[in-house]
Amino acid sequence: MKRAAWVVGVAALLLAGVAGWVASTAPDGLERVAESLGFASRGRAVAPSSPFADYRTRLVPAGLVGVVLLYGFGVLFGRTLKRKK
Amino acid sequence: MHIPDGFLTPPVWATLDAAALPAVGYFVRRTQAQFDESRAPLLGVMGAFVFAAQMVNFPVGVGTSGHLVGGTLLAVTLGPYAATVVMTAILVVQALVFQDGGVTALGANVLNMAVAGVWLGYLPVKLAGGPRRVALFLGGWMSVFGAALLATVQLSLSHVASDGPLFASMLGIHAITGLAEGAITMTAVEAIGKLSPKFVFRGEA
Repeated sequence: MKRAAWVVGVAALLLAGVAGWVASTAPDGLERVAESLGFASRGRAVAPSSPFADYRTRLVPAGLVGVVLLYGFGVLFGRTLKRKK
Repeated sequence: MHIPDGFLTPPVWATLDAAALPAVGYFVRRTQAQFDESRAPLLGVMGAFVFAAQMVNFPVGVGTSGHLVGGTLLAVTLGPYAATVVMTAILVVQALVFQDGGVTALGANVLNMAVAGVWLGYLPVKLAGGPRRVALFLGGWMSVFGAALLATVQLSLSHVASDGPLFASMLGIHAITGLAEGAITMTAVEAIGKLSPKFVFRGEA
């Protein structure tokens, strides 16, 4: 299982690394519907602007930041599991 | 189908935020109490993997894209309780760091994708008694279609557009995206199962 976990982890890094180049930039289903039915303009950002907004950064593929955050969450949450005898 | 801020009216998003909070609390406690510690390394890598996979949008017809949501994939590797927790973490990171999905709409997105998406996606696998191919495909489809249906109801309650075209276009597009979700889920679970059969969840909790 450890080896499989490594493979999945590396796959996550690879996917996040290349996503910026290979992902379709077309609007997703909801965005498309919002555009065609005329409610896209209702959308607005409430959160303070983030340097990683919409996964766009110049230096590092922004997705890698997210991969690290989610991995970190999993490790920390894993430590809160109750020990079983 | 991450709902951004502004689409839902305050009564709708506030109600859903208020409902999502105790729901997530329940899933967190249940996972902490019952999750098999030996599987803990999977929590981080599966969260990272599904987050990354969600970034890869693929074309769905002309001028529209879709991406994996991963509810079934998480449910059959982590079990549905932990899957709900990890999917919630993914949605929180997306909303707060990447402005993908709204902050006020976080409760809606959590209920749609982390709760309904995971559990509807797990249902066929549970009924089939294991991660059979057909169940994985159907689970993937149901998780996307079910989450889209809920999102559409929430948008309708917020009066964003007239119901006929709203339901028809949302459900039409996501019925197609769901097919891709089903196919990717089936392929990914098979690949993971070949790497390590133990990676695929078979028990309770």
